[in-house]
Amino acid sequence: MADKVVIKSRDVTLLEVLDRVLNKGVVISGDIVISVADVDLVYLGLKVLLSSVETMEKLRGAPFSGAQEEAS
Amino acid sequence: MSAVESGKKGLIYLYCVAEREPAPVLVPGLAAAPVAVCHHGLYAVVSAAAETEFGEEGLKKHLSDFEWVKTKATIHNTVIGEVMKGGAVVPFKLGTIFNTDANLRSWLEKYEEELEDLLHELHGREEWGLKLYCDTGTLRSFLGAQDKEAAQMDKEIASSSVGKAFLLKKKRDEALTILVDKKLNEYGQEIYARLCALSVRARINKLLPREVTERNDDMILNAVFLVDRNAVGGFIDATKDFKDRFSSPGLSVDCTGPWPPYNFCELSEKHHGG
Repeated sequence: MADKVVIKSRDVTLLEVLDRVLNKGVVISGDIVISVADVDLVYLGLKVLLSSVETMEKLRGAPFSGAQEEAS
Repeated sequence: MSAVESGKKGLIYLYCVAEREPAPVLVPGLAAAPVAVCHHGLYAVVSAAAETEFGEEGLKKHLSDFEWVKTKATIHNTVIGEVMKGGAVVPFKLGTIFNTDANLRSWLEKYEEELEDLLHELHGREEWGLKLYCDTGTLRSFLGAQDKEAAQMDKEIASSSVGKAFLLKKKRDEALTILVDKKLNEYGQEIYARLCALSVRARINKLLPREVTERNDDMILNAVFLVDRNAVGGFIDATKDFKDRFSSPGLSVDCTGPWPPYNFCELSEKHHGG
């Protein structure tokens, strides 16, 4: 885990991406689809991911303040 | 398209349906490069996918691998983002897979009208997200310093006996808690209402707990908006205005976009269950 360089803003945006891609978007059913769900999966994973980000931020001496990404 | 048609035994992974033929998508796809399958003027953007990776068993296995999910979700979103540059899209959930080209086409046939209507509605519009966070401690001090009744009670507390001061302080804290809730509600309502007025559609999503956001403040509003492209400037200005106005009471405003309209694409259930 130590060799993983995580950029803060990008990874918080990842939360947004995962929330949309896994929890939103059109769901279809019928003969075709393997439905992927799992909020729990995503959030569990994010927790692990974001904790590692937080740890890194602490190491750098900066507080982890979350997303402040301004889209322009 | 040949990549899809030749892969008879392979699966077809669907990213989105587009209103126009997309320019070649140059970002890497999930498996093979993304291509467009045209059906009566609708363009399904797909990749040929391997049974081993995206078949039912493979997918189940991979979904427990967070690194895999992370990578695939990012690619899925990037491909849709690229296609969206050329026109409206209906984005699908990660892992929407058809067994055969014929199945994809028959699905498109079945939903043709609905997809067309949806794309028509989404034309020239973007999804924007707004998350509001509040540091309750900051808001509490801010309101405590402003509120006349609280100030009055502070004076009384200072000049009271220990026992009376204790009770007064309790009363003051309770009143302040009620005020904090009231103000939070007011701020949230005001911000949401103003952004609703600047958008075509709006939705409020579930609040995410601190364990997920890993922030030190609490999420108090998680909303998404469908915004006309020519109104986006005004929408962003409004969020900047909120940042300025609400930083003293301890609010953080997090605005993201443009997103593919993941939150505004429900298809009806009438064909489902077949």
